[in-house]
Amino acid sequence: MKKILSTGLMRGLFFQILGTLAGAGFVTLVRFGMGLKFWGWDKTTYGFTEPAWVFGGLIGVLSFLYGTRVLDDWLKWAAGKETHEEHHDPPGWIRFFGPSLDHKVIGIQYTVTSLILLSVGGLFALIFRAELAASGLQFLNPDLYNTLMSLHGIVMIVSILLGIAGVMNYLVPMMIGAADMTFPRLNAFSFWIAVPAAVLLLSSLALGGFDTGWTGYPPLSARAPLGMQMFFLGVFVAGWSSILGALNLLATVLRLRAKGMTAFRMPIFVWAAVATSIISLTATQLIGLSFQLVMFQRLFGMGFFDPAKGGNPIIFQHLFWFYSHPAVYVFVLPGLGIISELLPVFARKPLFGYKWVAMSSLGIALVGFLVWAHHMFTSGMNEYLRVPFMYSTLLVAVPTGVKFFSWVATLWGGKIETPTPMMFILAGLVVFLLGGLSGPPNATVSTDLHLHDTYFIVGHFHDTMFGGYVFPFFAAIYYWFPKATGKKLNEKLGHWHFWLMTSGMLVLTLWMMRVGLLGMRRRIADYDPALGFDPSHLIMTIAAFAIALSVLIFFVNVYLSLRKGDAATGNVWNSRSPEWQVPSPMPAHNYEKEFRVVGEPYDYGLPGSTYVQFED
Amino acid sequence: MEHNKPYALNLGLSIFILLAALTGVEYLIAATVASAFLLVVIALTKAGLVLYYYMHIHRLNKSDPEADRHSYAYKTGSNRFGLWLFLLSDSFVFGGLLVTRFGLLGNTRPDLNQALGLAVTTVLLVSSFFMNRAETSMEYGDRKGFLLGTSITILLGLGFLAGVVGLEWPLAIREGLTPSSGPAGAVFFMLTGMHAFHVFTGIVFLVIVFRNGLRGVYSAEKHWAVEAAAVYWHFVDVVWIFFYPALYLIGVHL
Repeated sequence: MKKILSTGLMRGLFFQILGTLAGAGFVTLVRFGMGLKFWGWDKTTYGFTEPAWVFGGLIGVLSFLYGTRVLDDWLKWAAGKETHEEHHDPPGWIRFFGPSLDHKVIGIQYTVTSLILLSVGGLFALIFRAELAASGLQFLNPDLYNTLMSLHGIVMIVSILLGIAGVMNYLVPMMIGAADMTFPRLNAFSFWIAVPAAVLLLSSLALGGFDTGWTGYPPLSARAPLGMQMFFLGVFVAGWSSILGALNLLATVLRLRAKGMTAFRMPIFVWAAVATSIISLTATQLIGLSFQLVMFQRLFGMGFFDPAKGGNPIIFQHLFWFYSHPAVYVFVLPGLGIISELLPVFARKPLFGYKWVAMSSLGIALVGFLVWAHHMFTSGMNEYLRVPFMYSTLLVAVPTGVKFFSWVATLWGGKIETPTPMMFILAGLVVFLLGGLSGPPNATVSTDLHLHDTYFIVGHFHDTMFGGYVFPFFAAIYYWFPKATGKKLNEKLGHWHFWLMTSGMLVLTLWMMRVGLLGMRRRIADYDPALGFDPSHLIMTIAAFAIALSVLIFFVNVYLSLRKGDAATGNVWNSRSPEWQVPSPMPAHNYEKEFRVVGEPYDYGLPGSTYVQFED
Repeated sequence: MEHNKPYALNLGLSIFILLAALTGVEYLIAATVASAFLLVVIALTKAGLVLYYYMHIHRLNKSDPEADRHSYAYKTGSNRFGLWLFLLSDSFVFGGLLVTRFGLLGNTRPDLNQALGLAVTTVLLVSSFFMNRAETSMEYGDRKGFLLGTSITILLGLGFLAGVVGLEWPLAIREGLTPSSGPAGAVFFMLTGMHAFHVFTGIVFLVIVFRNGLRGVYSAEKHWAVEAAAVYWHFVDVVWIFFYPALYLIGVHL
């Protein structure tokens, strides 16, 4: 117990509480001194006033970082002292609770945090899904419904951001033959700043919640309860995790590739990670900025988006979607990269059109910057923007289509093996296709005007998120679990997980699209029984619980396999990738001998071909 | 080093004269023909000069893939990439602010004190010149020149902050342009506030570098922190190269 209490995590949380109170107390004192309102209870004042909570929240985050000791080395540098280059972690599980500099430990920290948030976000969904199972309000009031619905959105988004960061952090340095990321301290910082961000997001539940959905549109968000500010601050802080992680990854790929690894001999997942990071690095600033502007509008009365003062709420939507649309490519590109990475392994064939697939990732990232206003067809923005954004959006189908044709051609005539990771990959492919095909109706102005506020959209993006992220993410966990632990996940439980999740999510999303086409509106806590949607909603609720059960089975699987799974320290999947050429799990600083790239990465089934050669 | 020290210092001086002249031209254009197009062209030219000669963006090209990865030189190369990626990311914040400014105010601008605007712009530009001198001195191992240049830069930076936050803000508020008075006030305080925050962090960075320089931490070969502080300082100047015309020169004042 004492060991847990003295970990970086616990120290950080303790410091965050203290810092929040100190910051809020400071503002309260200042307000008291200035004769302003400094204490009370209403929609935006929970004891402390709104400015006090916001400032306290910010100081809390900084205190958390100080408390975990991730800033220590930088403080030493600022004082002109040297620090050690090598990093050593204590043995055992305790190293996951403190600030480690090892990218593999950080990757696992990210992944586990992501899974925890996935469960929390899923739990929120189950609660309001249960509420929706029948018309009429059963056990939630509209405010709580709105808060849970909004938190489900943002918690899942942060979970996905941490999930892809985990996979990229774990894999990219290994795949390119680096000892670690370029900036190991920044890497630790990027992870640890996400933890207080998650705490802030969840704290909004206790501070009145917020009723805007995760998009936080003003003018509604300008008069939402105090929870709104915690949401804005949490997203802003989480954004820094994403930005700095992306920066680190790009610098790593640019600077630390193994000898002979030219751009077109990198593993395809690295290409996807680069494309993702380009978006995260740049666009994320815009969501941070747009949320900051609303925060300042609430705190200082700055009328950016307040029409009464001459402001314009549409500007917010432009700034917001400039990140939040490319963000969906941040979510799916690594997943699509994993699909391209694993298909050749299990089809025992070269990846079809490697260069095209690599370029298609960049293509999606670049086109992704030009499509944001398709979220705003019904917002009242200038009408002349509609058609250009419709066409740019439809253009996304071209690089995405390149990927699909490559996958189908890779599978064609292959000797396909179907262990659990491959099953998730194949399901991801099918589900992402469903998500992709339901996209053009939303991108086309004429149909979007009818579909925009319906469950059709909900079904569409859950398909893209499951196909582009959830399935490949679980595939990656099943595939690289032996690399990280030296144990193999149980196949039988894996199959249960797979079939329950796949069937559950297909029923759920297809039914969402169905009721959406019939006119079921999104974001509402209740619906008219006369619409006859009760049975459909019941089916969706059951399907949602099936998905939750499948994730529970996955957790059981992880626990059991860690305790008494089959040992798997060799090249379990018969892969050509460098990380599988050495025993699992890998030590700190990865490879004991450096390797040189001498061939193409995906020449599966070509006799005599090699990808990497270790130097003696 | 490709050049000698006097050459490098003189180059910095010529660039400074060019930037100062361009700023004067900018001011004259705004006062006479008021062409937004010309103002944008001049701002881009100034930014290009700073990026190339003061921030030496060309050094990103200087990399040797087969070099020893544990050497200070190779790590400095990686750090340089990291810093520039950060600046790229940060410039999206300022880009977003400019979008907000033109989205909300269009071809109008807040009524601000022109003399004060030109004065703070000049102070920041001169600080950039001394920053360049300080960094160049360190590159040739001249610790004294470095300390002198850095301390002048810090003082000018503080002067800029005093001019914007200490003079311009109260003046604007007295004339009715407050954060809550409307979009013009909101834009003015947001843009100058965000920029002032970056100037402030730049000063903190410079103070740390100055203190370490005083204790002899840096040498002609190993002074990445000095280079980083200088590049960051020039970046803050580049931001102002765009913010100054956007706030003070472009458009009809309200």
